Amino acid sequence: MDAKTETVADNKSATDTAKPILEVDGVTLQYKTKEHLITATYRVSFDVHRADRFVLLGPSGCGKSTLLKGIAGYMKPVEGAIRLKGREISDPGPDRVMVFQEFDQLLPWKTVKQNITFALQNGGKTSSAAEANDIAMEYIQKVKLSGFEDTFPHMLSGGMKQRVAIARGMAMEPDVLLMDEPFAALDALTRLQMQKELLQLWEDTHFTVLFVTHSIEEALIVGSRILVLSPHPGQVKAELNAHTLNHENVGSKVFARVQQRIHDMLFADRILEDEILGEELDK
Amino acid sequence: MTSAPAIQLRPEFEADEIGKAATGDVARKLTLWERITDMNSVRKLTILVIVLAVWELYARWSEVSELILPKFSKTAEALLDGVFNEQLLIMVWNSLTVLVAGYFIGLLIATLLTTAATMTRFGSDILSTLTAMLNPLPAIALLPLALLWFGLGADAIIFTLLHSVIWPVALNAHVGFMSVSETQRMVGRNYGLRGLFYVGKLLIPAAFPQILMGMKIGWSYAWRTLIAAELVFGGSISDTSEGASGGLGWFIFANQMDLRIAHVFAGLFAVILVGVLVENIVFNKIENRTIRRWGMQS
Repeated sequence: MDAKTETVADNKSATDTAKPILEVDGVTLQYKTKEHLITATYRVSFDVHRADRFVLLGPSGCGKSTLLKGIAGYMKPVEGAIRLKGREISDPGPDRVMVFQEFDQLLPWKTVKQNITFALQNGGKTSSAAEANDIAMEYIQKVKLSGFEDTFPHMLSGGMKQRVAIARGMAMEPDVLLMDEPFAALDALTRLQMQKELLQLWEDTHFTVLFVTHSIEEALIVGSRILVLSPHPGQVKAELNAHTLNHENVGSKVFARVQQRIHDMLFADRILEDEILGEELDK
Repeated sequence: MTSAPAIQLRPEFEADEIGKAATGDVARKLTLWERITDMNSVRKLTILVIVLAVWELYARWSEVSELILPKFSKTAEALLDGVFNEQLLIMVWNSLTVLVAGYFIGLLIATLLTTAATMTRFGSDILSTLTAMLNPLPAIALLPLALLWFGLGADAIIFTLLHSVIWPVALNAHVGFMSVSETQRMVGRNYGLRGLFYVGKLLIPAAFPQILMGMKIGWSYAWRTLIAAELVFGGSISDTSEGASGGLGWFIFANQMDLRIAHVFAGLFAVILVGVLVENIVFNKIENRTIRRWGMQS
């Protein structure tokens, strides 16, 4: 089985994967607060290929969430370009579905199933109610929520809500699934469980996912490739492979080494900042 | 000399088998008394009975004139008399039809205003300016003008009702729209909702708690305005319909002129009754089916 899928993947890669599905090309993003114009990212470039589990990793203030919003189409870069399948992104659209951190991303007036069919029907996935229903049930089952399809979101636990949001996103079969710290508001045990389930789901269809997190461990477990961003403003620090790392080798030496390497990268900045701050204070 | 307390090592243990808790059943059925006293309606009804009893006893023993404060029993009698002999129910019906007409036209206009305010900045400026100007103006103060413009009739009352409905509804709906969470807005746009679909499928349900609040306020404003309008110009306005009776306000007004004070009280009672019924039956039903079911209000 392995050999077969390998060759299929190889054949595909000859035609498909030469070209990235998502190109982020020298993107500078800025937003305004009441008093400041904040530069969130500065000339960030990276490519996401089909079937990537691409992680944007960095401390708070590195603009990773802003970057995701740019890719989702909620804000326009002041410099550079973001292209999906070669077409420049101008608006939000159902070809890039976002899974948020906040639990209120589910519409409270719709049941679990309706939340998914609502997305399918308005996102132009299908116009037939029966078909939307079937797709919704399929994905509800995939995220192990069978029996809860007619429940309203306020009756669900945090982890279940995030599962519905993931099911909704996956049901849309977007070109790239955008996940903005989807597990950050969950308790540690649930988070672990969700990470495993996400990887299992990925095993099924090898969907392309762009995952934002500030946890190095989560990045290594979830990601196949990791973009490390430094803060103020967000700039690319490194791009690493992590496709061999997952839950099973969390305690291993390799895992620890990569973890330490990223930690040093991010921490080096911190020391530098502290030193600068210290010097300023000395004056 | 004092030192920080040291950790005291104790042996570990693990329970082999967890037995049943000694409290008996984990879930116990509430007793009848507990269930009765938990019912909102029962507790509120008790208060109502006490108030009515105090009223009856005071009127009976203080020898206050029937023209000032009739007994509750007399008022109840008058209420029945009104219902069976003086077409009180038809009068209530007359009032309600006018009210409902004004209310729904008002809701429609408020919806248009709020939608415009949500979609364009100009619309938003219009709404906030108009609301700031007109909201403080009591609707009843417009009645003389309305009579001049629309003549003596239901149209004039409906016009004043519109005024009392539109502003609270539009204001609350607008505030509701503004406070829809950023995440939900982004979700809506992510799945391709634009323009009117965005308003209808996302903003309105998301802001429904506030919208419903506005509708309730609008309803109670309209009800008061209607009774006031009928009181002031009652007879002449409402006597247009099939030679019958006019509205509830007219019932109060006419009976006051005839010094039938128990009937005046009965009229007021009917006003309260209609208000309470609409609030507790109609709006409560809507709340139970929507925002409570969705967990947007407890």
